[in-house]
Amino acid sequence: MSGVRIQRFLGLLRAFARNRGAVLGMAIIAAVVIVALAAPLMFNYSPLRIVGRPEQWPFTSWRFPLGTDSLGRDVAAMVVYGARTTLMIGIVASLTATVIGVTVGAVAAYFGGWVDEVLTRITELFQTIPNIIFIMSVVAILGQRMENITIAIGLIMWPQIARLTRAEFMSLRDREFVQACKTMGMGNFRIMAGEILPNALPSVIVLASLVVASAILFEAAVAFLGLGDPNVASWGALIGDGRSLIRTSWYICAIPGFAIMLTVLALNLVGDGLNDALNPRLRDR
Amino acid sequence: MKRFGRRTFLTFVSASAALLQLSGLPAAQAQTPKNGGTLVATWGGFEPQALFVPAGGGGAPEFTSTKVLEPMLTLDSDLNFHPALATDVTPASDFLSYKIKIREGVTWHDGKPLTVDDIIFNADKYWKPVVAGPALQFYTGIKQTGPNEVTVSFSQPTPEFFFKSVLARVLVIPKHLYDGKEFATNPANNVPIGTGPFKFKEWVRGSHVAYTKNENYWNKGEPHLDNLIIRYWRDPSSRTAAMEAGELQMGVFNPVPAADIKRLVDSGKFVASSSGYLTSAWASTIEFNSRNPIVKDPLVRKAIMHAIDKNFVVDVVFSGRAKAGKSFVSSTNTKFHTGDVEQYKFDPELAKKMLDQAGYPSKNGAPRFSVKLVAAGWFPENGRIGQYVKQQLEDIGVAVELTVPDRPTSFKVIYGDYAFDIAVGNHAAPVELVPVQTNYVTTSGILKGVPFRNANGYSNPELDAVVAKLAVETDETKRTDLARQFQTILARDVPITILAEIESITVASKQVKGYEHLANVLADSWSTIWLDR
Amino acid sequence: MRRIILRRLLQAIPLILGVIVLNFALIQMAPGTMLDVITSEQQVSDPEQLEHLRRLYGMDQPSIVQLWNYILSVFRLDLGYSYRHGAPVIDVITAHLPATLILMLTSILLAAIVGVAAGVASSLKVNTIWDALISLCAVFFFAAPTFWLGIMLIIIFSVHLGWFPVGGMRTIGGDPGLFGATLDLLRHLALPAITLGLFYAAIYARVMRASMLEVQGLDFVRTARAKGLSPFRVTVAHVLRNALLPVVTLLGLQLSTVLGGSVVVEAVFNWPGIGSLMVDAVMSRNYPVVLGIFVLSACVVIVANLIVDLAYARLDPRIRAR
Repeated sequence: MSGVRIQRFLGLLRAFARNRGAVLGMAIIAAVVIVALAAPLMFNYSPLRIVGRPEQWPFTSWRFPLGTDSLGRDVAAMVVYGARTTLMIGIVASLTATVIGVTVGAVAAYFGGWVDEVLTRITELFQTIPNIIFIMSVVAILGQRMENITIAIGLIMWPQIARLTRAEFMSLRDREFVQACKTMGMGNFRIMAGEILPNALPSVIVLASLVVASAILFEAAVAFLGLGDPNVASWGALIGDGRSLIRTSWYICAIPGFAIMLTVLALNLVGDGLNDALNPRLRDR
Repeated sequence: MKRFGRRTFLTFVSASAALLQLSGLPAAQAQTPKNGGTLVATWGGFEPQALFVPAGGGGAPEFTSTKVLEPMLTLDSDLNFHPALATDVTPASDFLSYKIKIREGVTWHDGKPLTVDDIIFNADKYWKPVVAGPALQFYTGIKQTGPNEVTVSFSQPTPEFFFKSVLARVLVIPKHLYDGKEFATNPANNVPIGTGPFKFKEWVRGSHVAYTKNENYWNKGEPHLDNLIIRYWRDPSSRTAAMEAGELQMGVFNPVPAADIKRLVDSGKFVASSSGYLTSAWASTIEFNSRNPIVKDPLVRKAIMHAIDKNFVVDVVFSGRAKAGKSFVSSTNTKFHTGDVEQYKFDPELAKKMLDQAGYPSKNGAPRFSVKLVAAGWFPENGRIGQYVKQQLEDIGVAVELTVPDRPTSFKVIYGDYAFDIAVGNHAAPVELVPVQTNYVTTSGILKGVPFRNANGYSNPELDAVVAKLAVETDETKRTDLARQFQTILARDVPITILAEIESITVASKQVKGYEHLANVLADSWSTIWLDR
Repeated sequence: MRRIILRRLLQAIPLILGVIVLNFALIQMAPGTMLDVITSEQQVSDPEQLEHLRRLYGMDQPSIVQLWNYILSVFRLDLGYSYRHGAPVIDVITAHLPATLILMLTSILLAAIVGVAAGVASSLKVNTIWDALISLCAVFFFAAPTFWLGIMLIIIFSVHLGWFPVGGMRTIGGDPGLFGATLDLLRHLALPAITLGLFYAAIYARVMRASMLEVQGLDFVRTARAKGLSPFRVTVAHVLRNALLPVVTLLGLQLSTVLGGSVVVEAVFNWPGIGSLMVDAVMSRNYPVVLGIFVLSACVVIVANLIVDLAYARLDPRIRAR
């Protein structure tokens, strides 16, 4: 990295750090990541293992600080391992969505004309499908496994990123520096990827952080509806499991719900911070 | 009348053993039923796809259609048949034919009279081809033999209990609405016209079905209720709340989560009862696919059975509201059940030894072999049982890949593609074993693509012979013996067996009376139910 | 204006075609067909009957033919027949539609009013404790999973406090008259509408706040203030009117989700709307109903986008000038 780039990066960091909310968000995310990574150290048994009497309340036993669920599994273990599921799905789904979305948006904006028309129609097509139903259908076709759920969520989220990328590219495409590159004889791909994209990236990154949050919420909803992967522990599945017990053991719903909320909140704060840092002209949002 | 109530109660206490927590059936039999009122009821399943499904459709349409349409006979909880649309059913001495006397003066809800032609239409065009084909396999025809009488003939001797069971199950539909039309798409399926105690009023999809009293019901004095409303909730906890709020008075077939049953009963306003599920004994089953060479080995099957603690399933998955299975016939079936067959005690060490013996040792902690476990996702309990079985098997060194597919996929995987090694599912068994129960284990029961049949591929000529005899033996004691042999063979070979007999519970407000003596509270017409207001 | 409408309608046709093809393909790929579900529930074992049913449901023809027939019928405004329900798809959908519309429109209205008000208030008191509080609430309601929020509301307000019913849309039985029926509906509507509404309100609040702040700093506002107009007039007539633009876009976006956005809430509150119908249709591979809903949803999206375009044209003078 050149010296200028390092300077710019440090400047961004400073701008980010000035936003206290963003720092808090970052801290929470870091905590979640650490917990997820440390899962096997904290619990040396599979979270789906039945280990005790079912429906014990939290704080009533040393062995099960967060209680047990309807089958007798350790809620704390499921929450900790669930963090892994959540993070994995969030990251992979939004990465998928970003890759597809950026590609589609960039190509559509750069080439314009009928390419733009067709790609925009396709983007709209995916936007008209009710989200949850699409995920349900995909999971029904491909099977109830984590990979499939992740793909399905990625397929839902890419249109937003495509639209944003397209908008950014369109405003940048006619700028002078792009004209200059074209005159120099640079290939289209190099211009798109090397020149325009880095400038469009800040907005995309901000959106991507929100996409991660949405992906997490979708996974929770899918698991809640009973379509999750039965072989992994997930926060949404825990909420779904506890739904028929809300009157007696509502902690089974409350705890993972709270965890999801915290994570999504943190992601939003981080997204805000990124926005402030990367888009200084739009500060005070 | 009080004695009648107690006898029923005692029958079920002895049949269902100590795990039950009944909180006292209402001693209502001594009282005179009061007329009037609206009953709001529900059941533990979902809204049906159509109010009446001519070919069956499962519990959901059975619940809604049987209030409007009636069978020829009814069965009570003491296994006695009572006349409904048929006033008499008598077999000939060779059991090759039955004379049926049809009740006079019965009218359909649209005013037309019930005639002999209706019954002939039902037997020839509806019962035999559409709804009871396997049960009526020896049926040869029906003809009118009197002003209100018909005779049904068979090519093989047909046991009386068996044939009467069929008559107590199949419904009588109006010829003038169904003759010549497609059964599946007939609009009368959603606006049913029958002879029953209740007339269909309206169906607001997603919400409820409403019925009103049939003023011209053939049994004068019944029904006692003015209105009946069947309401639907997707979420069991919502039903509990509705009961507590007084919005719901009666729920059949485990309407609320087990934990809430106790709370409702403790409040003093509700009672829980497990009677009324005689002809619909639900059970959780496990079966082994004979097409997989490893799992086909009886030694492997027995080892796996030893690794599963049925009591855990009963206590934890069903919260004690179930009974550990002893044989393939539920213990609630007092006519045919025997517990005197090979049992598999929970003994994981023994299981490991048996697997070693069978030739599947565990080398350095590596799994002995791997199985595909499919837990049918139509009940959430199956998923939990699947996870428990997976854990137990992993503990004895067997690797398990668990899937819990949704309802249509489960049908396809288990009954269509046979794509499983071990399957966790359910059945709802009537008292008569042939053909519903036997279809799970006979060679003739193997019919690819049709659910609730032999999916495990078990084919044993010895068992087939026993079942064949059972279908035509008219001596009741000999039948019970044959049933015993049936269960003994199955317990020895274990192609499929019951893990837990699910205790079905009715939860009702203390005001609701008149439902204690029914054999099948879901499928009864509810003409005897009344509100003590 | 007419140009916008015409353009949108022309774009609608390939969109609907695309929706049909995509979703048709999706449903066909799913293991287990509608026939499997129906024959299993009806326990059809006779091969002749199976064949007969296959022909009856039109499933004996190759997929392409089925697809073509379906496309033709859609453009004849016939969405097919649901054998599972024993009724035309249109009837099945319209039976469930009002419930969803009531829920979604109420929650959108709630969200718009509460959200915009909160956003404006927040921007007027920027960087004070009120601002921080409102922003905190906004993020909280955005981050909480909708179904979890719903369950928590049920626990608090229905189970423990008993203020609202636990679920459903109406109390059945009895004849309360128009006023009583409306009140009853409102009581049942409260919690689900609030659950859905709070999520969207949070979004509106944040967007409104940002938009207000951005517009406030623009030249024309300073000019208006310099001209001596009262602060109230400046805020409402100038700032608010322009700041509403992004909210209008969002409203359009939310309107376009009117058919699918309530699936989870309907599940939690047992609300008898399109959401429950869709879940059941996917579970039973009832593709006429699923396709019907998708087609309808596409139409709703098109109409919603059209409304947004038109509203934008009215609100933003720059666009109007074109």
